[in-house]
Amino acid sequence: MGAVRGCNIPEDLMYSIDNNVWVRKESDGTATVGLTSYAGSLAGQIVSYTPKKVGKEVKKDKSCATVESGKWVGPAKTPVTGEIVAINDAVAAKPGLINEDPYGEGWLVKIKPTDWDGESGDLKTGADALAAFEAKMDADGFGGC
Amino acid sequence: MRDAKTLRVLDTGLRRAAENMALNRALLESHQAGTSPHTLRFLRFTPSALLGFHQDVEQELRTDYCAEHGIDIQRRITGGGAIYFDETQIGWELYLDKAFLGTADMGAIARKICEAAAEGISALGVDARYRPRNDIEVDGRKISGTGGAFDGDSIMYQGTLLIDFDVERMLRVLRIPAEKLSDKAIESARDRVANLKDLLGGNMPSFDEVQKRLAESFARAFDVKLEWADAMNAAEEGAFQEALAEIDTPEWIYQHNRPATDATMREAITRSQGGTMRVGVAVDPARNQLKQLWITGDFFVKPQRLVVDLEGALRNTPIEALEANVKAFFEAHPAEMLMLTPEDFVTAIRAALDAEEARA
Repeated sequence: MGAVRGCNIPEDLMYSIDNNVWVRKESDGTATVGLTSYAGSLAGQIVSYTPKKVGKEVKKDKSCATVESGKWVGPAKTPVTGEIVAINDAVAAKPGLINEDPYGEGWLVKIKPTDWDGESGDLKTGADALAAFEAKMDADGFGGC
Repeated sequence: MRDAKTLRVLDTGLRRAAENMALNRALLESHQAGTSPHTLRFLRFTPSALLGFHQDVEQELRTDYCAEHGIDIQRRITGGGAIYFDETQIGWELYLDKAFLGTADMGAIARKICEAAAEGISALGVDARYRPRNDIEVDGRKISGTGGAFDGDSIMYQGTLLIDFDVERMLRVLRIPAEKLSDKAIESARDRVANLKDLLGGNMPSFDEVQKRLAESFARAFDVKLEWADAMNAAEEGAFQEALAEIDTPEWIYQHNRPATDATMREAITRSQGGTMRVGVAVDPARNQLKQLWITGDFFVKPQRLVVDLEGALRNTPIEALEANVKAFFEAHPAEMLMLTPEDFVTAIRAALDAEEARA
């Protein structure tokens, strides 16, 4: 598994560096979206999670869920356009899963992408993603996870 | 249009909660879009009960008391708990970005801003200090509570400053147990907050003076110059009208977001003739109490708000009293239901209570 400054960044996932989220195309054609371990580290312990409703269309780089940590509230922005097909009940019951298991149990939403081939080209993966996160952490003045 | 070394200062005056919340949204979005400079805004409220973004109206506020006393109910875009805000407080807030602050760490940003705010309050003649994670206090008594919102690299961080705050009124607005409204309990709540007027007595500064001290302190802390402005720019005005159209509505205020809680969470789905009901419960195992619950599904009830009223009524219900409380609720609240009975609610809530604990 890849890591940057102590933050896990699995090299097999695709990332929107600006949005600090990952996405994985599943075999059924849906795409799973979640926050990176880096985003979770910046936010601190996440205490609330409100996803957009199932059936709602969300646009690339717009909010697909709202999270709260230590009185901070902000959007998690989807890296691809599509319809929300699933939200995570386990995270609704225990939002801390986003910090504890960001690439597994702590996923945010599943989306049916409308233009995966067109939009996923903007995303980064593998060594490119690691380098891009290194640069982002530098710009953010981030010490490490 | 945005100068890294300049902080615009805006005073948007006394406004309704909906306008202040819409300005939060508009200025944060405009900052993120690059059409807003770094900004310090001062704001004041006509009487308002303000929920945290993830809270529910019925679970947090005495809506009847608010209605009787002309207190607006609104939802913040920031986190934390419900507060009461009126003319006896001043609000301050900053619109900045991560590059300006030199860090993207949310905890570090809160600390940096609160420490600067504490210095500004201290310049008025009291000894104010930052109390992690989100408060500013004087001798252990809270004088300012804070919270934030972010959008991309832009952040908005806001706080209150108590000038002559009425603690008893706050307690009556918030939905808290009746025993907390005894004279003694109110006195003890009063002991935990600090009012600038009590601390300074006859030397009470004017609003202008308070603003000046806070602004100077932020300018020092961030090493920027201040630029006092008297109006927003055209892009911000447009964003404000757009945000107001969304926020000044019951849909925004009464939206149903799931609660955060440390209690054990359980959930179950049941089906009856009336439809599918999904119930989530937060249980306090030590007290064997239903702390709170939320009910969703495709069943039909009228009036629609009945479901949130039921959720509110069942808050902190001892589990053995569940049946009796549901029955009493429906006797007191006439409802129109399609193929649905009060017993269906009891069954659905029981199923959730009996469900396995949500994955730990």
